[in-house]
Amino acid sequence: MLWKRQIPILIATVVGLSTLFGWFIDHPTIESFIDDDATQWYDILASFAIFLGALNLMKLQGKKVLKQKSGWQYSLFAIGGFFFAIVAGFIYKGNDAVEWGVHVTSKGTLFKWMFEYMFTPLSATMFALLAFFVASASYRAFRVRNLEATLLLVSGIIIMIGRVPLGSSISSWFIMYLLILIASIVVNIKFKDKKITFGTLLAGVLIVTIWGSILGWPLDQPGLFYLPVLQDWIYNNPNVAGARAIMIGIGLGIFATSIRYIIGLEKSYIGE
Amino acid sequence: MDKISDFILRAEKIDRRWIFLIIGLAVLLPLFFPLGLPIRATIATQKVYDAIEALEDNSKVLVSFEYGPSTKPEIHPMAIGLLKHLFTNGHKVYVTCLWPDGLFMADEALTEVAEEEFNLTYGEDYVILGFRPGNEAVVKGMVSNIRKLFTTDVRGTLVDDIPLMKNINKVADFDFIFSASAGYPGTIEWVQYASDPTGVPLSTGTTSIMVNDIMPMVNSGQVQGILAGMPGAAEYEALIGSPGIGTSGMDAQSIAHLVIVLFIIFGNIAYFIEVQRSKKY
Amino acid sequence: MIGSWIAVFLTLAIFSYLYKDNPFYKVAEHLFVGISTGYWTSMFFWTQIQPNLFGRLWPASQYNPDSIWYKFYNLLGIFSSVFPDGGINKGHHMDLLYLLPFALGIMMLLSVSSKLSWMARWGIAYTVGMAAGLRAYGFLNSNVLGQIKGSAFQIFNSDLPFFALASESIFNNFIILIGTITGLMYFYFSREHTGNFGKLSKLGIYFLMVSFGASFGFAVMGRVSLLIGRFVDLIAYAGPAYNHATLWLLLVMVLLLGYSAFSDKNNTSENESTLEK
Repeated sequence: MLWKRQIPILIATVVGLSTLFGWFIDHPTIESFIDDDATQWYDILASFAIFLGALNLMKLQGKKVLKQKSGWQYSLFAIGGFFFAIVAGFIYKGNDAVEWGVHVTSKGTLFKWMFEYMFTPLSATMFALLAFFVASASYRAFRVRNLEATLLLVSGIIIMIGRVPLGSSISSWFIMYLLILIASIVVNIKFKDKKITFGTLLAGVLIVTIWGSILGWPLDQPGLFYLPVLQDWIYNNPNVAGARAIMIGIGLGIFATSIRYIIGLEKSYIGE
Repeated sequence: MDKISDFILRAEKIDRRWIFLIIGLAVLLPLFFPLGLPIRATIATQKVYDAIEALEDNSKVLVSFEYGPSTKPEIHPMAIGLLKHLFTNGHKVYVTCLWPDGLFMADEALTEVAEEEFNLTYGEDYVILGFRPGNEAVVKGMVSNIRKLFTTDVRGTLVDDIPLMKNINKVADFDFIFSASAGYPGTIEWVQYASDPTGVPLSTGTTSIMVNDIMPMVNSGQVQGILAGMPGAAEYEALIGSPGIGTSGMDAQSIAHLVIVLFIIFGNIAYFIEVQRSKKY
Repeated sequence: MIGSWIAVFLTLAIFSYLYKDNPFYKVAEHLFVGISTGYWTSMFFWTQIQPNLFGRLWPASQYNPDSIWYKFYNLLGIFSSVFPDGGINKGHHMDLLYLLPFALGIMMLLSVSSKLSWMARWGIAYTVGMAAGLRAYGFLNSNVLGQIKGSAFQIFNSDLPFFALASESIFNNFIILIGTITGLMYFYFSREHTGNFGKLSKLGIYFLMVSFGASFGFAVMGRVSLLIGRFVDLIAYAGPAYNHATLWLLLVMVLLLGYSAFSDKNNTSENESTLEK
């Protein structure tokens, strides 16, 4: 128990407390140890954690092959890929002019070749694939069911169009005409009276047309209806307010969790 | 009218592979037939530009590369634009990476800009210190003592032998920090452990997805502006007057956004028809 | 040349998932897992373990072939890429205190055997403790206090105009302050959201929704940019300099997938007719 439970909790508490108070201690030796060496130890352990992850993954894939579980043939590619990367990383440099260690980013090495022609297309395409799923999700899942959903949708659309060059080519007057059209549709649904609908539409179109003629139809005036300006206002104000509330909320949450780890209340890392 | 409604309802349920095809074409076609739409800088991009312009001559700028191939189309154009801006104004550039992939990105960007375009000397005008694993602990370590963390640069040269590293011992010795960041660790860690405690001003360029995590810090002045995704890169390219990969992607970006917005509107019309019909029966 | 063909093949293999899950995609996916694991292992080793751990345990500056410590080092010399002759020259002095993280690291690796799985806990406890110590301060200082300062003080700035759409103004700062406070009220679960408190927290939801909407817009923007990047690369590889790799590989893949879809269809219809009999 001592080895498996008490010692790890003690380590977490001592390291946590000294790191936290390291911000306030003014003693050169202690400060230098906490800031320089203790952080380096963390970096070293982070690296070992990666090695452990790699070992576990290969153990898993190896088991799949040995037991010939469904799709085990594909696991051979995972294992093969791993060994190829290890060969490029530790056994075959491909360019004798460079030292070991520097070889990872040097021109003409097998490792760099692997990064460029295997790792890059694989990881980049994996992420790019999501563009298609985002599009199909927005086609099927985004519905204006209530005021909240409508706000979400409208702010999303304004950001999407207002932030790209297309948005700055759309005149504010076009947006105003569009709004009048939408207003008339809403009026039609509400009152179900063709006269009122037509009246709203006509009045709106007349007002915008006269106003536009007086001002000479400037593309970006009035700013409230010019998408890039409106987009920037939403982005810098109401959006920041919401994002700030989330940031403060998460900040408090992480602060509380960290303190719980330090004083030993939170012990998920030893499986409790 | 009913026929149109029926058609819309049927179209709503089409195989999603048709949607994939339309999105693919919406991105692909403008790459072949560019429209040349004008680019307009947003406030946050302008802030980044102004912050760099305000730096005194010969400033020491720490540029951290925290992205890889998966987000390269968004951030690489920013990194290139920023390096061009910094070198044009005669600043010195120090590169570190919190992501292993960042090392490759930094090498590529500096080869293109510093070596080929500006003919600068490695070790005198710019240096790549490299990548160290450890996330925020690396930032914290650099704030305290860079030389304990980076004893050699990416080419294996001892840091003590690099002329540009003279008088550089910790983050506070820099005049400005720029984080080209695609997530954790990245901009937030630089704010928390480097910029806020030392007061060295920091600016950033991030992936679109990260923007909202950083925006409150831009508003509070903890971060000097932000370049948001590929459009942010294109705006920056427009400001420095050097159109590049960011700019050339903007037509495709515009058309794809338009198509997705139309999808959303169409989906909602179908939803509206459904609701009306279910009310009827 | 062969590299670009491999790159195109892997790109198209992953895109083929859009049609349906298929062997091309599965091969590429597994290859990705394997290669990135090996890639990360190599990168972390050469950027931290070799220079900053081994470099401190056996530095070249204090190399002495007669000492027991370096005799042991010379035994490790069979892995000459990692342990070169004459010690590791990364500008460090010997610091045997680093045997401690080394030991914790070895314990971590031993935990791969299920009997010794508890051994990883010490090293993990160290990283958890340090991350907690760093974050407790970082998040409280920058994300909480920094943000409260950002919201509260700018509103009283008399240099600002009362209203401006495209720049900072008192009105805009007021909106941010209200949105932040009501948004936080929504997150406050210790009190029931009724009465005036409920109304304010409802207002908070509206601000959060605008923010989520913007996040959605940005998510779309990011994904589209990444797709543009991939297409630009594929277009480049379709050029004569690469022997039109994209076009040829696309053709081959479409033919193979089409053939397999066709034979699948035949098989199912044959099965159905057998069932009918």
